[in-house]
Amino acid sequence: MKYFCGVDTGGTFTDCAVIDETGKITIAKRPSTPKDYSEGLFNALEACAERMGIDLESLLENTEHLFLGTTVGTNALVQMKGAKTGMITTRGHRDNLAIMRSAGRSAGLPVEKLLHVSRHQKPPPLIPRRLIHEVSERVDWKGAVFLDLNEAEAEQAIRSLVEEDAEAIGICLLWSIVNPEHEKKLKAMVKRLAPDTFVSCSHELIAKRGEYERAVGTAINCFIGPTMREYVQKIEQRASSHGYTKPILMLQVTGGVVPSREVIQTPLFTIGSGPAAGVTGSSFLSNAMGYTNTIVTDMGGTSFEAGIIYDGKPLTASETIINQYVFSMPRLDVESIGSGGGSILWVDEISGTLKVGPESAGADPGPACYGKGNCPTITDANLILGYLNPDNFLGGKMHLNLDKSIEAIRPLADKLGMEVDELAAGAARIAEAKMAELIRQMTLQRGLDPRDFVIFAYGGAGPTHACEYARELGISRIVVPLGTISSAWSAFGTLCADILHVYEKSDLLSQPFDLEHINQTFSELESKGRKQLEEDGVSADQMVFQRLVEVKYRMQIHQLPVPVPAGRLNEDDLEQLVKRFEEIYESFYGVGSAYREAGIEIGLFKINAIGEMVKPSIPEQAPVHDIPVPGQRKVYWRQRGERVDTPIFEGQSLGPGHAIPGPAVVEYPETTIVIQPFAQAVVDTSGNIIIDLEGAKS
Amino acid sequence: MSAQNEVKWDGKVFPYVPSEPLQIDPGIRLHSDVAEQLDPISFEVIRYAMWNINVEQGNTLLRISGSPIAAYGHDFNPCLLDESGDFVFFGPFLQYLSSASGSAVKWTLEYRSGNPGISDGDIFLTNDPWVGAIHQADVCIYAPLFWEGELFCWFANTLHQWDLGGTTPGAFNPISQDVFWEAGCIPPIKIVEQGLLRKDLEEEYIRRSRMPDLVALDLRAQITACNVARERMQQLIEKYGPEVVKGVMKKLQDNSEISFVKRLETIPDGTWAEESWVELAREGDRSVYRNVVRLTKKGDRLIFDNEGTAPQIGSINCAAIAWKGAIASMISAQMLFDQMFVIEGAYRHMEFRPTPGTLTCAKFPAGVVSAPPTVLLQTIGLAGLVISRMLYCSTDEVLQKEVQSCMGTLCFPIDAIAGIDQRGNGYASFLLDPVGGALGALSWKDGVNTGGWPWDLQSTMPNVEDNEIFYPLLYLWRKEIPNSGGAGKFRGGNAAEIAYVVNDSDAITHYTTGGHTIIPGPSLFGGDPTSRTRYLLIKNAGVHEAAAQSGKMPEGLEELGGEHLNVSPKTGGIVQESGDIFALAWTSAAGFGDPLEREPRRVVQDIESAYISPDWAMQRNGVCLDENGALDAEKTDALRMSMVQARLSSAASPGHTHHTIAESPGDIRVSEGLVISRSAEGAFYTCTKCRTRIQNTEGNYKSGCMKRITDVRDVGLSPIDPKLFIDDDIEYREYFCPGCGVLFQGDFNRPDDPDFQDICLASVADADQANQ
Repeated sequence: MKYFCGVDTGGTFTDCAVIDETGKITIAKRPSTPKDYSEGLFNALEACAERMGIDLESLLENTEHLFLGTTVGTNALVQMKGAKTGMITTRGHRDNLAIMRSAGRSAGLPVEKLLHVSRHQKPPPLIPRRLIHEVSERVDWKGAVFLDLNEAEAEQAIRSLVEEDAEAIGICLLWSIVNPEHEKKLKAMVKRLAPDTFVSCSHELIAKRGEYERAVGTAINCFIGPTMREYVQKIEQRASSHGYTKPILMLQVTGGVVPSREVIQTPLFTIGSGPAAGVTGSSFLSNAMGYTNTIVTDMGGTSFEAGIIYDGKPLTASETIINQYVFSMPRLDVESIGSGGGSILWVDEISGTLKVGPESAGADPGPACYGKGNCPTITDANLILGYLNPDNFLGGKMHLNLDKSIEAIRPLADKLGMEVDELAAGAARIAEAKMAELIRQMTLQRGLDPRDFVIFAYGGAGPTHACEYARELGISRIVVPLGTISSAWSAFGTLCADILHVYEKSDLLSQPFDLEHINQTFSELESKGRKQLEEDGVSADQMVFQRLVEVKYRMQIHQLPVPVPAGRLNEDDLEQLVKRFEEIYESFYGVGSAYREAGIEIGLFKINAIGEMVKPSIPEQAPVHDIPVPGQRKVYWRQRGERVDTPIFEGQSLGPGHAIPGPAVVEYPETTIVIQPFAQAVVDTSGNIIIDLEGAKS
Repeated sequence: MSAQNEVKWDGKVFPYVPSEPLQIDPGIRLHSDVAEQLDPISFEVIRYAMWNINVEQGNTLLRISGSPIAAYGHDFNPCLLDESGDFVFFGPFLQYLSSASGSAVKWTLEYRSGNPGISDGDIFLTNDPWVGAIHQADVCIYAPLFWEGELFCWFANTLHQWDLGGTTPGAFNPISQDVFWEAGCIPPIKIVEQGLLRKDLEEEYIRRSRMPDLVALDLRAQITACNVARERMQQLIEKYGPEVVKGVMKKLQDNSEISFVKRLETIPDGTWAEESWVELAREGDRSVYRNVVRLTKKGDRLIFDNEGTAPQIGSINCAAIAWKGAIASMISAQMLFDQMFVIEGAYRHMEFRPTPGTLTCAKFPAGVVSAPPTVLLQTIGLAGLVISRMLYCSTDEVLQKEVQSCMGTLCFPIDAIAGIDQRGNGYASFLLDPVGGALGALSWKDGVNTGGWPWDLQSTMPNVEDNEIFYPLLYLWRKEIPNSGGAGKFRGGNAAEIAYVVNDSDAITHYTTGGHTIIPGPSLFGGDPTSRTRYLLIKNAGVHEAAAQSGKMPEGLEELGGEHLNVSPKTGGIVQESGDIFALAWTSAAGFGDPLEREPRRVVQDIESAYISPDWAMQRNGVCLDENGALDAEKTDALRMSMVQARLSSAASPGHTHHTIAESPGDIRVSEGLVISRSAEGAFYTCTKCRTRIQNTEGNYKSGCMKRITDVRDVGLSPIDPKLFIDDDIEYREYFCPGCGVLFQGDFNRPDDPDFQDICLASVADADQANQ
């Protein structure tokens, strides 16, 4: 028997999903181990093996591919526990990282905090000023050398960083994206003078114009580099000692995977990759189910995250903000708001209205019902409403204290002159409205109509609220993917990933476009991609190349991605490209918004070099005819304004063919599906829970 | 102010002031029905949706326009207004634009509702500063939404345009004599008539521009943004009903008002004022002009006036609408920070009483196009200071924390550049680097270096690489300037400097519009003032040759050869050729409180972070380090003591040498150094540190202080000879406690000016006396 193993190391839990040749999926969950994350990883693999009735060796020896998603890098960054990092930059531009384009004082703040200027502050520096050294050198916008690299200065800079015990050195020079020679030379010098020091160059990480975002990316890559190197080497060793000797495929924020030895050089691309796995898994499954447009939603303890799959492909973004630092790298577009189970409910005394978040009770003290504090939260509201089972939370591992929830929420209800039930239902409604608003913004901004989508809902609380946010958006179908597998959805998602390398090149071409230059650029990018895929062991017939250019009107800053056909382009193709740009432009911004007279420019070339991987096959299950006898409890339904005796199903007892009319609740160990009175659910032959809403546009 | 009653506030000669009530053609019906019952949950859900509608209006504008000035300078803002043009939501971008949108809508209701009428699907345009714009480059586009025949609400957005004509390229004009030299004013026109963009009016509009294609693209961005918002609001009304939606709008306004009034209740009645100086009205001018903002708080009203402000001149003037916006932007940040941009609550309690014919209440046809980088920004700084002085007196600790010193980039030093770019195309633009200003020091923490502005919440400097690809430039450096932030008990944020050479072009022509090249921006409660703007052209600097020879890039101005020319803050065209360097430094933020009162350990941290130099620490903070770079406490104490002695021996005494020590410590907060204490003899401004009675509250506290006078060129970093640009003499006056020598305040004045009265709390003392 051959296996495919996927592991997702999160901040709290490490999830594992194993799929065998027959398509049978086994999942397991173990606590993450922050002291040494590799431990939790192998614990989860071992737990999975145990469930499958085999030992860890048998599992790993027979594993075709081991996929791994990890937040190790993200955690190191967020907690600012990274390597002592130095940087070398162009003389005159040392303050680049400190100035933060000025926007660093408010970048990424929730809008509620934006106007409170007296509280604006730049974050602690990624690299202290004394560890940033300048060297004389200069390249201009077109790549011409204004001044050669001053090697004496360079050597001195490297030596003093070594003396300062820098564990990592980043190199970020102006215009290295156009002419990387000086960065390359510096890197070679670091390798020579300080062979054990982690080193990375900005042009290797980010190909876009913008020295600030490149410096941030380089600094972060260095900051987490040594930690990630240690982590990856450790898991490689352990995996091989258990019999798995092939490359470990690690998930990137692009939603694709690369062999772990590349991650050692560019750990940056794992930052924020957690949600990407879920989108990748959803993309695979929704395509398999025949959906072309899917909104992917994940609600956990602190946040609600959404991604969009349009026309079969996940939509991408390029900017990442973390700790108020901004950097650009191609990534799946997953946006989030601070609306999770832990979001705190409060009353605004002046307006006399109920507010939800953006502050969160987090894991500690957590919601009042955890018994550690008395913050009223969305989880408390869900418990009061009867959505959650106090005795079956996390599969019964944790008891929820209903009295504590009521105690925490009652004062708010009293202030507003409402019943506790009413207030809890109102809190859920506000949270759901915010989630719907996020999705509305993400779709409408791109000229998409949310009603043309199905929703995938997973994460601890996603399926609890999905009926309501779907209804708010006029969406008629929700899928809780693969039922119970949804609770380890990110681990499953890694199994669905392809090898993916993204190559970009910033440029500024005006009409009439230089055809030769365009063909040349794509051909360079593709040969880079081909070479890399060959190194990854991808055979030619598994290689796929997708091309894009980003286009804008002259003097605009924002660019729109426009797909480009394969092969040598001719003038006709360019004409088509301009036409396609204007179509996309008008679909985003409305008919009549295009204005060709302003002149059209290409600002970026981009290719996705894909190594296609074997995908899981999900076997059909035979229909089950015996409907299990549900339990019952009183659940408050907002629509009815009262508590109603409601059937409660145990998720694991359901099988294909089962239909459950709302109102009902389906309980899994890690998630609870709430089927509202206006909805009904069926289990399909793959084990997905399909929920259809009445009255919505079909 | 009696003259105001004899003039017509209709937006022609005098700025528009809405009639009360608005005079609207009876043919238009306004929707005003409000649901009687609003449950708190629906309120929150609809509020959030409505907020997002406005966000979407802004995002649409930002994405479509995407011009650097929108993307980096955020020189735009969307808003949602109710049926009569009162604010529901203002957007999270450039805050001073608020007064313009509301004014444009109200004027249109009064003067366009009969002819040509206001109908469903119409969209209006104006850039008239006397009607509804800050200056002519800020074009406001606004659309009514009708529901069942009634005018339900408005959407408006304002966006800065690159060029709308006039005698110099770009949006400012350093040579303008009056408005006829500048981009023309367009009183409201109906650019879209029932859904159709009028080709004739569009062409009439873009014809005036040197960059008509960009203007046409931005026009589409603004119209689309309105349409997107209008469509979504229609859906919201369909879903919840017009009465409920309108109910939420009105409740939002009321809530903001309640919050504002509650905050006012914690503040004693009084008057606070601030002044500063604008340099040069136009190219060739050699004078400075006084700009005053005065705030009187009386019960639940805030009354703003500009008495003492210089008469209008050149193109630096604000029509009063811009002046209102400048003030409102700081009220919003300092007093409504938790009201999510519902600024209407404050507007209901603000009165504006400017004197017409002045810099900040210009009459047509005064030039106004250069107001934003000069008088307008300076007014924002002054408004922030008068509000800070007022908030210092609040009993609410939350408000006390909003007290902040003068922001950086107090004037935006416009470095407008024009010529032929590296691709052979003509260009006219200005560099946006100075948006990276600096935040003021607060009463409890230091300002943020290159932290932007308090009224533009997300402003973003372009990358050096962005500027170098758009324009034929090569930057030698862009760096923070150590020691630039005003010293104080809390330090103002440091500013930055850029220097560049011409690259891939023969030359660049520069047009400057700026200020504070000679006279720094004002200080607060004894903190050091801001640093100065510096425009510098270095002819024949020989950078290329020196670099080739030494293999080194230059690191600072000091090491550069060539002829160093300070460039005037109003220049109508100077040429930088290949081999010349142009350098631009913008102003830092000022400090808060006496620099000698700063905790020495903070000074040591400043030195360690390279925010200040050890010499500067000795000179400004009286802090000494030992040979290991650690604090030398003993030497520090001695130095500080000698500096206080020097203050007292070099300052003129107030006339009486006997110091009375107040019996009680005093309990009404006045400023960082002063409280009001009372005795049988009356109420006195009293030193918080040594309890010396300074002055009876009937008078100006400054007349009870020791006063030291210094020439302006001896204050702050890198001063230049004032006579280079101005004929006036300017001095810096410091007011010390005669008892302990603590510094209460520093002011810039002409020698003949009386001591400026920045605080008047006479009535507080009276009221308090009465209570006792």
